[in-house]
Amino acid sequence: MTLQTQLVLRALLAEPDVQRYGLQLCAETGLPAGTIYPIVARLEQLGWVHSSWEDPHEHVAAGRPRRRYYRLTEEGAQQARDSLARAYRPRNKPRLGPAATWPDVPGMSR
Amino acid sequence: MNRPPAPAQPGSAGADPVAGLLRIVAGTRPGADAGLIGRAYQVAAHWHHGRHRASGDPYVSHPLAVATIAAEVGADDPTLCAALLHDTLEGTCYTLVALREEFGAEIAHLVAGAMAAGATPGEETASSAPGPGGGAAAPGDARILVIQLADRLHNMRTLRHLPPATQVQTSRQALEVLVPLARRLRLDAIRSELEGLASDALKRYGPGADVVSGRLLAAASALLPPAVRARWCQEWLGELSVLPTRRARVSFAAQTLLGMARLAVVLHRPAKPTP
Repeated sequence: MTLQTQLVLRALLAEPDVQRYGLQLCAETGLPAGTIYPIVARLEQLGWVHSSWEDPHEHVAAGRPRRRYYRLTEEGAQQARDSLARAYRPRNKPRLGPAATWPDVPGMSR
Repeated sequence: MNRPPAPAQPGSAGADPVAGLLRIVAGTRPGADAGLIGRAYQVAAHWHHGRHRASGDPYVSHPLAVATIAAEVGADDPTLCAALLHDTLEGTCYTLVALREEFGAEIAHLVAGAMAAGATPGEETASSAPGPGGGAAAPGDARILVIQLADRLHNMRTLRHLPPATQVQTSRQALEVLVPLARRLRLDAIRSELEGLASDALKRYGPGADVVSGRLLAAASALLPPAVRARWCQEWLGELSVLPTRRARVSFAAQTLLGMARLAVVLHRPAKPTP
């Protein structure tokens, strides 16, 4: 999984029940629009992400064009947590590895 | 002429939607035929039943608003009825013959005229409106132009429900064609409101770069599978239009264009188990 995809998943996982629109994902991940859209399209194909148009009453009341909202599906949220955990483990290992073998020193917390 | 009173709110939860119109008519022309106007509204409501505007309002709120605008500039009974009926022949089973039988030749003539003028009144009005310093247009023609102007004014009032590219195009047309027409017909209230609404919309969406950005995105979306093209275009144009500066809009469009090929590949291939 690419770093960009991880960033998108982390943004969506931050509050899994909150719907986000494209520009919002750009802002939260720091990624450009051209990167965000292919990623959410792919995640939607996989069934990890669900997208839907904003309720007409809301965007009409706000006086702007309607937004396309994205949020994680239940399965997507679980998959995202699992794959983010997998993605981070190998990179974290070298740093944590030696530490795990240190002998416990009384009075010293890690 | 002073600014017209606040327009009636058709489609709001009033007991009788046509009451606001009849109040204005009673104020400007005491001898008006309220029964005839009420009947024209009922017929329009019947034929537009179940249809809605882009705003979500019942469709009949549009002809009612058009008639209200016409009433505010003192239009006569046949003009008000024609304004109420001006869209009833499109996409319905109602016919001009039936309308003529029900409302008479004069109203039918006005409805047919307002329809024939179609989407771009500029071309027709250029020849049918009085020349500079010339005499008045034929009475029938001028009344048709009033209906058209009122029609466009209401469309401008509800413009925000349409895509930004449409808003820019409609606003340009309003400034180039309708404002001079309203000035020529001495309909100052309509002219100044049209001018204000059109200028606001053009200010909101910038004078050109954004339309270009939107068009580029729409053109590039030809790479995407046809079934989903419209959905992505609508999403991007919506995002594009809420960005605060032109620089941000151009940058958004450029970035989205860069990602278009990748998105096309994603959307054209079947789903695989991992992203």
